[in-house]
Amino acid sequence: MIDVRGVSKSYGSVQALNDIQFQIDEGSCFGLVGPNGAGKSTFMKILVGVLQKFDGDIQVFNKSVKQNRQAVKSFIGYVPQDICLEELLTAKDNLMYFGRLYGLSGEHLRKRIRTVLDQIGLSDKANQKITEFSGGMKRRLNIGCAILHEPSLVVLDEPTVGIDPQSRHSIFALIQQLKEMGSTVIYSSHYMEEVEQICNSVGFIDKGKLVEHGTMKHVLHKHRSASIFVSADGIGKEELSLYGDTIEKKTGFTVNCDDPLLTMGKMIEQFRQSGINPERLELSQARLEDIFFYLTGTQLRDNG
Amino acid sequence: MWAITIVELKKKLQDKGIWFWTFILPIIFIVGFITIFSGMNEMEPEQLVTQIVPGYIIMFTFFIMISMVITFIKDRDSGMVARVASTPLPLNRFLVGKWLPFLIIVILQIIVLMLFGVLVYDLPLGDPLALMLISLILAFLATSWGMAMSLLVNTENMGIALTQVIALGGAMLGGLWMPLEIMPNSMQLIAKFLPQYWALEGFQSILQDGGHVMDIWLSLLILLGFGMIGCVISVFSYPRFLRQSRS
Ligand SMILES: Nc1ncnc2c1ncn2[C@@H]1O[C@H](COP(=O)(O)OP(=O)(O)O)[C@@H](O)[C@H]1O
Ligand SMILES: [Mg+2]
Repeated sequence: MIDVRGVSKSYGSVQALNDIQFQIDEGSCFGLVGPNGAGKSTFMKILVGVLQKFDGDIQVFNKSVKQNRQAVKSFIGYVPQDICLEELLTAKDNLMYFGRLYGLSGEHLRKRIRTVLDQIGLSDKANQKITEFSGGMKRRLNIGCAILHEPSLVVLDEPTVGIDPQSRHSIFALIQQLKEMGSTVIYSSHYMEEVEQICNSVGFIDKGKLVEHGTMKHVLHKHRSASIFVSADGIGKEELSLYGDTIEKKTGFTVNCDDPLLTMGKMIEQFRQSGINPERLELSQARLEDIFFYLTGTQLRDNG
Repeated sequence: MWAITIVELKKKLQDKGIWFWTFILPIIFIVGFITIFSGMNEMEPEQLVTQIVPGYIIMFTFFIMISMVITFIKDRDSGMVARVASTPLPLNRFLVGKWLPFLIIVILQIIVLMLFGVLVYDLPLGDPLALMLISLILAFLATSWGMAMSLLVNTENMGIALTQVIALGGAMLGGLWMPLEIMPNSMQLIAKFLPQYWALEGFQSILQDGGHVMDIWLSLLILLGFGMIGCVISVFSYPRFLRQSRS
């Protein structure tokens, strides 16, 4: 289990983390979601032992990050937000390099490199210099370098930012594999739908505070106020706000309300009276993104 | 640790700038100045060679600091420093691993320039043990200062400027450019606080006077001391350096 105990961190006057407290079960896939600047990277850097000055403590599988930093590092694989590879080397030499830093060597290391190259789908590019790689390929190698030593905890900081759908798919498959092999995965993202898709527990972070956390089921259930999606000519945010909290989306509006069925009935009545013919009018289950907005008032992205 | 050293050496082999600073430029200087001064006929040719060759060797060993600062700042800004810090590799091995390649390059540099002196100017070598020892300690000194500076400065430009001050200022005041005897007394006193002066003293004692290890012990000790200061500064400035690393 990973036990985060009252972690706070300030950079000068900026409080990046404010008394973060939660637990992650062994073998689960935890999604840490929040907008840019929320403190996700800061939390991860503390967890993996890169940031050493902070208040509170984290126990990783019963070892304290503060007291047993070296031991904790050896069973964590950290994939930083920025691609961190030796540009002049080939993919294979990069893996060789990081493998050695994690203390692997000899035949075991060579075997692991072959396995990982296969997992990240770069076996046929093993001997190419990575300057020739696409962004997505580099991202995959970036992850590969962190899983050579078969870490029991894999920490990925926004691994899917700015990559092609194919690489994204391949990264999801890789995380799935890690989960199946029993690794605990912590994954940060500001793409809610990603987290909803691959994580079984989740934490919302905003302005350094953890506003909600728990299993995916629990969080979805707890805040399950279904909402209504409306897309219609001749009706805008102002009118819809009368029915409940309204969020503007690309193709329409989401209206959150306590009794969606009743509200929907009223809407239909109004539409009929004003001669509005909605293109879409549907009841939708709350999604993580809506819950996040409901809890923090912060939109994760500029558009839905 | 070896992984870091090997990768770093591989990168250095592909870096043309470092070859220019370490080998080509010093040779140009040595040839140039020996030619100029031998036209003036004031010194014995042997005295001239034993002043200029070690003098410029000492001066140019400090230029490794430029290459070091570029390497360290690049790794800091790319986040590589933080990335490596997330592996179980202990801090001291990281620093040693990063530092060794530069030490090797400087040792190589001293050997090549000495050989050049021997082949072209009949530079007398003296006691090989003493010569090896002082070369090693000089290389240690220059690279440990290079590391300390790389971890301390905020920007690459600051590091390059500081290297110029240390290398050129030290060379001028330490008597690497012209014999100290022709300088005023106050200058001679200042020189005694500079490692460059003690390095030249040591080299000249070996090359000119046939000195052995026991004759240059003071030089060796002082250079070693200056080098240790660099190491201590490095260890203490690493935490801040790591905090500055991105990602
Ligand atoms: N090295 C640093 N120095 C000063 N402030 C920082 C530093 N790193 C992050 N911050 C600040 O801390 C806050 C959290 O940043 P970060 O953890 O990177 O957020 P996220 O990864 O969620 O985008 C931001 O306000 C950011 O500006
Ligand atoms: Mg971040």
